[in-house]
Amino acid sequence: MTPTRPGPRGRALLLVLPALVPVVAVVGAALVSAALLSLGLAPLVGEPGLSLDAYRAAAGDLGTGIGLSLGIAAASTGIAVVVGLCLALAATAAVRRSRLLGALAALTIPIPHLVGAAAIGLLLADAGFLARLLGVDPASWPPLVGGQLWVAVVAEYAWKESAFVALVVAGVLATRAASYGETAALLGAGRWARLRYVTLPLAAPALLSAAAVSFVYTLGSYEVAALLGRAYPEPLPVLAYRLFTSIDLAARPQAAAVALTTTALALLVVLAALRALRRLAAER
Amino acid sequence: MSAPRAAGAASRAGRALLALWLVLPLVPLLLWAFADRWAFPAVLPQEWGTRGAEEALAAGAGGAFLRSTLLGAVVAALATPLGAMAGRALASRQVPAGTAVLAVLLAPLALPPFAVALGLDVLLLRLRVPAALGVVLLLVVVAVPYTTLTMRAAYAAHDRGFEDVARTLGAGRWRTVRSVQLPLVAPALAGAAFLAFLVGWSDYIVTVLVGGGRLTTLPLLVAAAAAATGSEAQVAVLSLTAILPPVALLVVVGSLGRRGRRA
Repeated sequence: MTPTRPGPRGRALLLVLPALVPVVAVVGAALVSAALLSLGLAPLVGEPGLSLDAYRAAAGDLGTGIGLSLGIAAASTGIAVVVGLCLALAATAAVRRSRLLGALAALTIPIPHLVGAAAIGLLLADAGFLARLLGVDPASWPPLVGGQLWVAVVAEYAWKESAFVALVVAGVLATRAASYGETAALLGAGRWARLRYVTLPLAAPALLSAAAVSFVYTLGSYEVAALLGRAYPEPLPVLAYRLFTSIDLAARPQAAAVALTTTALALLVVLAALRALRRLAAER
Repeated sequence: MSAPRAAGAASRAGRALLALWLVLPLVPLLLWAFADRWAFPAVLPQEWGTRGAEEALAAGAGGAFLRSTLLGAVVAALATPLGAMAGRALASRQVPAGTAVLAVLLAPLALPPFAVALGLDVLLLRLRVPAALGVVLLLVVVAVPYTTLTMRAAYAAHDRGFEDVARTLGAGRWRTVRSVQLPLVAPALAGAAFLAFLVGWSDYIVTVLVGGGRLTTLPLLVAAAAAATGSEAQVAVLSLTAILPPVALLVVVGSLGRRGRRA
């Protein structure tokens, strides 16, 4: 008897399984384990019992953290979108295309965020490079690193993510905008009309997707805020890390509660972005 | 000044500002890396030298560099074939519930890495999985969305006709994959491998949470030095060490990609 060969659908399923199995196993196991821990069902010490104590205990810090994390993500994504769009426009312009800006943005992509944070620290600190350039005394330099407004943290995310937005949007504009732009120009559209009615609508889906990816990344990223932020209040990842590595084992369930809250927030943002993308597509 | 000339000047000024935005954060890194003494308020270091490099080496930069390279390479070696197979299958539109499968494969993009690491850490400890293995497993899962998306796009633009011809001419299934399919998608494979390498190379929080401090990679040294005071030169050297290999790789992968498109 010859073994039956799988059909095309069976073969496709076999090809996708080696990636699907580890992703489902790791993500599923991690989320279930965090959920059990946060609900008191998998305590490190003592008897398991369903309770919302961890969420209640962390509620105050959780509320502050949600607002702070959303604020940092919104501010840095907003700047990254505006600067990234300008970079993409300059890198794909029909006249005076800047290959230099495209190359610089591409070279910024592989810089680790942690290294970006170290660089921004050297740039914006009290006696940092910018203070030296501008000749401002450390005493009168505003507290950009570790200050109340989280300027250094927002600057790092905005810097790195603007390069990401630029690359994604430039990729779309490079392949499609030139021909549409030329047609519009032939039909008599001016510079602003071409930007408003041709380039921006073409770039909008890519811009929205890049903004969503960047927002979600910023929301869940630990190291930049840990290095350049202040001790209190804490963004969600910093709060979760402190609770998780605390010597008090009772804080672990609270860390899991913060982690799950951040995950839920990130998924909500993704769903909202997908809805907005669908609406954009329907408007065409 | 006429209107087009004013617009030209404004556009040049805007471009200069954009270039400054991208480059300015790297300038203090380059200066501090070779500064032996750079007291405030001097704009340039007073004494140049290799103090930063010596401090970085003493902090274990050599070993950390090797461990980071190895971690990036292992993540790339695992996540690239997984992404290539999944990308091939998804591009063929033969996968049952393909959209849902793609959504699951992309899910790690949406999930905060610290949350997954935190949940998994408890489990890995209970199952007594070695820390380094846990780090690799989690980072491969983080890298799979990038490799899958890259390879799905490559296979969507890939002409299967070449493979059909090779099969008709008598090449076996494996021979066709090795001699026809893989050379055709090689630039995309290089791009996917580069992105997966970056995931392993740049990671901090997964290595700290799941590695439990036993796996000292370059980002861990950068964080430790950056949190200390008076170690600016060391931070700068460690940071440049963490930037240069991926930037060099990017240039190589970019030129490979251009060659692939010309061929």
